[in-house]
Amino acid sequence: MVANALRDRLAVFLALATIVGLGAAFILAKDTKFLMPGPLASAHGAIKNCSSCHTKSGSGNLTWMHGLAPGDRLADSKACLTCHQMPNTAFNAHGVSGDILKQSTERLAKIAATTPAPLSARVQGAAFPTHGAGERGLSCATCHQEHKGTNFSLSEISNERCRSCHVVKFDSFDGDHPKFERYPFKKRTQIVYDHEGHVGKHFPEMSKKDATKRIPDTCSTCHNSRADKRVMTVAPFEQTCSGCHLDQITGKDRASGPKGVAFLALPGLDLQTLKKKNAAIGEWPEASEADLTPFMKVMISRTERGRALIKTVDSLNLMELAKASDSQIRAVTNLVWEIKGVFYALITGKASDVLGDLGIGGGAKLSASLIADLTAHLPRDVVVSAQQQWLPNLGTEMANHKEAKAPKQGGWITTTKESTATVDSDTATIPEPAARLAQAERQARSKSAAGPAVAKPEGGNETPSASEPPRAKAGDQTDDLLHPTEEELRAMAAPVRDALKAGQPKGAPANAPSKAVSDPPAGASAVSDAVQATSTTKVAPVIGIESKVDAESWAEYGGWYRQDYAIFYRPAGHKDKFIYSWLFLTGPQAPKGAKSPAAAVFNALSGKEAQGSCTKCHSVDDIRSKGRLVNFSRPSVENKKARFTRFIHEPHFGVVGDQGCLTCHSLEKGRSYLKSYEQGNPHSFASNFGAVKKETCQTCHASGAARQDCVTCHKYHVNGITTPTTNTKLPTE
Amino acid sequence: MRLAVRRASDGLVAMRALQVFLLATISGALFWLVWIYGHALRDPRYLDGWLLAVGMGLQIYFHIAIKRNSLSPKSAKRWRRVHIFLGYVLIAVFVSHSDFSLPDTAFEWALWTGFVLVTLSGILGTYLSWSLRTRHGVDERLSYDRIPTRRAELAQEVHALVVDGDPAPTLFALPELPHDAWIVDLYTTQLRDFFKGPRGTAAHLIASKRPLKRLTDEIDNLSRYVDEQGQEKLAAIRKLVAEKDRLDFARVHLGLSKAWLFVHVPLTYALVVMTALHILVVYAFSSGFW
Repeated sequence: MVANALRDRLAVFLALATIVGLGAAFILAKDTKFLMPGPLASAHGAIKNCSSCHTKSGSGNLTWMHGLAPGDRLADSKACLTCHQMPNTAFNAHGVSGDILKQSTERLAKIAATTPAPLSARVQGAAFPTHGAGERGLSCATCHQEHKGTNFSLSEISNERCRSCHVVKFDSFDGDHPKFERYPFKKRTQIVYDHEGHVGKHFPEMSKKDATKRIPDTCSTCHNSRADKRVMTVAPFEQTCSGCHLDQITGKDRASGPKGVAFLALPGLDLQTLKKKNAAIGEWPEASEADLTPFMKVMISRTERGRALIKTVDSLNLMELAKASDSQIRAVTNLVWEIKGVFYALITGKASDVLGDLGIGGGAKLSASLIADLTAHLPRDVVVSAQQQWLPNLGTEMANHKEAKAPKQGGWITTTKESTATVDSDTATIPEPAARLAQAERQARSKSAAGPAVAKPEGGNETPSASEPPRAKAGDQTDDLLHPTEEELRAMAAPVRDALKAGQPKGAPANAPSKAVSDPPAGASAVSDAVQATSTTKVAPVIGIESKVDAESWAEYGGWYRQDYAIFYRPAGHKDKFIYSWLFLTGPQAPKGAKSPAAAVFNALSGKEAQGSCTKCHSVDDIRSKGRLVNFSRPSVENKKARFTRFIHEPHFGVVGDQGCLTCHSLEKGRSYLKSYEQGNPHSFASNFGAVKKETCQTCHASGAARQDCVTCHKYHVNGITTPTTNTKLPTE
Repeated sequence: MRLAVRRASDGLVAMRALQVFLLATISGALFWLVWIYGHALRDPRYLDGWLLAVGMGLQIYFHIAIKRNSLSPKSAKRWRRVHIFLGYVLIAVFVSHSDFSLPDTAFEWALWTGFVLVTLSGILGTYLSWSLRTRHGVDERLSYDRIPTRRAELAQEVHALVVDGDPAPTLFALPELPHDAWIVDLYTTQLRDFFKGPRGTAAHLIASKRPLKRLTDEIDNLSRYVDEQGQEKLAAIRKLVAEKDRLDFARVHLGLSKAWLFVHVPLTYALVVMTALHILVVYAFSSGFW
């Protein structure tokens, strides 16, 4: 009994001593590292403070007790994201959205029904179910358990762990792993390349036709995985396709139609009808048969009024307006003035004023480089010379029109305002005196009542139309100082004429482009022609020197040129920035079937006969509710994101036999490969190649041979993890 | 009688075999359970940790019940068996919880050492109990406190044997060899001290029979030179020496049986304190597991 009592006293004493010892350890220790269950993995070895990961532990020796209080159970996992950046869905299973998981589960559930589950999986599912484990969010430590030693592999995940959640439960890859479904061709390739057509037809034909052409003789002529081991890349265009396809891009091979893209144009109009209906459109070239370019539609559509206008005129044949209603005629009239406004703005202002604010691109401000690409550095002189040729009196007209319409509704207000201030001798066709001249002209006309300088409506009714610039009445003018005589008017017109001449190319006939001004009829008729309902302006040659080279051929290697009543851009070669930027910018606003101006641009540049032929090789995907996308980007690891399966070609090169790539990728004939690119769903695809078979992989990946654990071919974090660059402040003294 | 003893012995062996089989089965099942638990998006250390905590709780309950005398002798005996068996199961749980590896840090080492010492002291106690009863044939009814008395009785008995001379010596016989004197001499030089108090403690700790053999060899050697009467006397003395040796063995082992609890119980108390802190620390640093 005495011994028992002694023993009990000793036991209590030792318990108390333990408490005291632990208390002393907490007090005397520098930190709480003595509580650690084990060393951190090597990658985390530099972490010194527990609170870096255990967010509630604090820095004191007893503050770790805060961790006992309930709180955000993912708080510590969020600390992981400080270094390992992941998307917002980081704590979902696989880091993907619930919808993707749901779709995947539904698909796999069908396979699971025919796959026998091993006993351990059945017991695991019954005893420790994982249903709903991910609903509250999976913490990082669920799989990555720390404090297991320096050499512990944190990323190691067992097959059983994968199996605990997955509906298809099987023992091993060479066991009951489901057969592959269309692997790896679940989504079509970005480049439209008919292997069967090229190998079976084009290459043999080309080698017969031109022996000097470089015809690929092995797969590796075009494909390699050296740069990026994850992706079987295609060699650059210049090393592969350019031999045959470059001329298609530059238009050299084009048999018919313009080789450039019509950018700016004066559309052909039914001038007779317009005149008949008394539409005050001012001067307009009667010989033009051009169409209103989609680019101009975009430029005009930047305002609400412009959009309505384009919508109206889109339903009209501008060359046949006999059956057009009055409102439609008014719309055409307004369109004319909008077009003139575009030209006026392009000359009086900066190109970026017009082309940098097109209301496309989802309202985002366009970058300087993108604007530069959109305009392809359109030279001002091209626009100026076009204006001189097509609309020599644009300045006068715009001044009159502005005055009549002020305050103007929408349009290019900014540039118009600036016109008087910014115009200098370079912009000879639109000088400030021209506006004054037009003003004076109107005054002269009204004062002298010198005949019908302005086209009268048939029937003699002079009631101006809604869009017609109002004409000043003689009775309105009371001040002689503001009412110049005819001599004064001539004197005022003289500098304008001189300036116009100065702005023309050397050698150009002085009277040709500025006929309306330089060769006026008696009285004020020269200027009055400019405001007539129709004009007889004609295209004159730009240069006086004879040349057998037409403008289109002159720009053989790309660039701007003017032909007829349009300014064209000819693609400069592969990766032409002009076409790329317009496709890139308008694509998201151009869903299939859309009628918007942006869609018109996209359709014009992506059609079968489009200049540049971009979409001949670059596939176009429909993006649900986001328009369309031309696949210009090269395949990369980034493109492989969100995929559950990964494959690295390189380690397999040594094990394929004499068949090489065909060991896994069998070229199959008669597939509707090209047809699958005629629609916009990238997942609806018929590859030239047969799917890779599980049996092929199984020849090596089997028990006792090559690895066959889940993570050999599948990845957990499908969206990847990135480690951000350290924010290093610049050193200061 | 022999048949009954053999049957009893066979039954004991079968029982032992069953216990070992049960222990192995439970341990294997536990390892497998922890393995599938760990692969079901859970941290296995929480499962085997709580199993360990619950097991330790049961063991402590047994200690408390014994101390409160709340168990009948029969129940106490049954509970003692459960206590020992559960102790062996907890070794498997502990091995699983420590992930088949040694600790790395100070507190982990303290916990590990505490558990290992408690376990080893428990195993020692179990061994001592088994060893006394089966290996050395010590009567279960023999208590530690009765050993000095019995030893004194044996000393008197051996003394009486030695001093007891020939009751009818022949007066006119030729002089004979001094057999009794030789036996007395043996007693004086070897046996008297042996019977005087506990001897051979160190040898008994390691269950060595060497000291006993040395004495019995002396007796056997002398036995060859004495007459029949002397041989009978030496045979009786030999029996008493063997009994004294068993008493000494029992003294050592019964003493140890008492002493190991001075390690086992206080260490358990310390382990309980550290375990409580361990659980707090684990949950404070659980990183989202609760």
